[in-house]
Amino acid sequence: MKGIKKNVVLVLAIAVVLAACKQPTEQINNVKAAIEGVMKAGADKYAVDEYKKLDGDLKAALDEIAAQDKKFFKKFGTAKEMLAKVLVDADALKAALPAKIEAAKNLAVSLQGEARKGLDAAKALLDKAPKGKGTAKDLEALKGDLTGAETAFADIQKALDGQDYIAAQDKAKSISAAAAKVAEQVQAAIDKVKGVKK
Amino acid sequence: MKAPVSATGALLIGLILCAFACSTPPVPPEVQQAQGLDEDLRRTGVSFYAPQDYDRFQGRLKDGRDKVAAEKAKFGWFREYTAIQDDFRALMTDGRALLQHIRSSKASKAETFQTRARTLVDRVERIKKMTGFFNESGPVRMNLSRAEIKLAEAGLLLKKEEYETGSRSLAEGEFHVRAAEQAISGVLSRYLESGELAKWKRWAQESIDESRSSGSVVFLVSKLERRLTIYKAGTAVGTFEIGLGRFGLSDKLYSGDEATPEGKYKIVQKFPSSDFYKALLINYPNDEDRKAFVEARAKGLIPGQAGIGGAIEIHGGGKDSLTKGCVGMENKDMDLVYDYARVGTRVTIIGAVSIENTILAEIVKFEK
Repeated sequence: MKGIKKNVVLVLAIAVVLAACKQPTEQINNVKAAIEGVMKAGADKYAVDEYKKLDGDLKAALDEIAAQDKKFFKKFGTAKEMLAKVLVDADALKAALPAKIEAAKNLAVSLQGEARKGLDAAKALLDKAPKGKGTAKDLEALKGDLTGAETAFADIQKALDGQDYIAAQDKAKSISAAAAKVAEQVQAAIDKVKGVKK
Repeated sequence: MKAPVSATGALLIGLILCAFACSTPPVPPEVQQAQGLDEDLRRTGVSFYAPQDYDRFQGRLKDGRDKVAAEKAKFGWFREYTAIQDDFRALMTDGRALLQHIRSSKASKAETFQTRARTLVDRVERIKKMTGFFNESGPVRMNLSRAEIKLAEAGLLLKKEEYETGSRSLAEGEFHVRAAEQAISGVLSRYLESGELAKWKRWAQESIDESRSSGSVVFLVSKLERRLTIYKAGTAVGTFEIGLGRFGLSDKLYSGDEATPEGKYKIVQKFPSSDFYKALLINYPNDEDRKAFVEARAKGLIPGQAGIGGAIEIHGGGKDSLTKGCVGMENKDMDLVYDYARVGTRVTIIGAVSIENTILAEIVKFEK
């Protein structure tokens, strides 16, 4: 009787071991679906690094599975733990995304403000620049440059209205750079008149 | 000492191991490899670059997996993976080709993108340089500025490998550069007209001939080249850089148009001291100018009650200043010109001497 019991336990143990040797296909599919969901929610735009990390972690888990698959005695425990962690991280990222999108929006609005300030500063400088000998032609050209940047400013709002906050940030940065360049050149024209040596 | 496992137990274990390990054919490695390939495809952005191909790939992958599952459901000895393995091998071949195609496509897009961006930068730089030669640069510079902003945006998108969005930014940049080129052509189109060029050439030649035959001094002003040349007895004795008004490249028609007149004039008065250092007043408007003014008024080309204007001078004060239609020069150059000038000295103002000069050559390129 005792022998039979021992055998049954042993058979069960082997069955458990063999069952553990099965690939965690369902878990993989769940993790993939979770990552896909996070991506669709905007993670690839608004949480680029975290999204790349998730992707990398999934790849590492799949590599682990592939490595185990080549072995006679397969152990998928580590891979399962890795997948479980990716799933938790994906869920956490998804939960954090609205805040990240809001932060991107706020940054875009802030950069829009900076671009506005930059344009205003360049305009003020241009207005007060002495249009005398040696500057009039340069200033006329710079006025055209500034008008171009001013016209492009409306594009930031369009991107914000379209909820494309990263595009809005990029546009604002480009316009700020353009405004700064105009201001720098206006200053150079003013210095030219004043005879300031640099 | 009692054996830990009875003979029956050993037999059972042997049977189980045999059933699961020995006689069960293993799932082909291609199944796992296909999974990895699917991941690689996804990472390269297959759903964006080849969505239909990827749909087909995934459909076949799912079918393959279903077949594997169906085989696995069978008792070990009855499992047969040969056909499935063949399917997966074919899938892997197609998948790798798709992956290669996407990578090549992305590399090609990146290269195209960079080439387009470089070309655009060159076009912007070239036109910007040209705007330094004339004053009517407002609309041109505005469009160039917009193009540069689009280029900056495209640069940021390139870093993120967002070629499609970046490409749209480049397209917008190209649109603005084209608008800038058109604005330049609008200002300078008449400098390409053979009739105008022939007329200016004739005036220049007549003035030089006049200088040669009479031994007199003649001032030849070429607006596009921004140059005043002094001829004495038909020989050029000095060339100086000049500045014009905001619309200096246009032919003066009426008061306030800030254009510089074109024609054959004479110095009517010398001012050793003026608001602009020294000045030489010319006899604008001459008979030709009056005729042109009357015709333009009849055609409704003269705004409001504008008159024909006057007080056109060659003066000092600097070549970089924007005049209201006069010819501006550096004071040191003005000293020399002033000394050569006499009341009655011929001043011939033309658009350009020849098509060969650099700026016109650039314009011709645009026109082509």
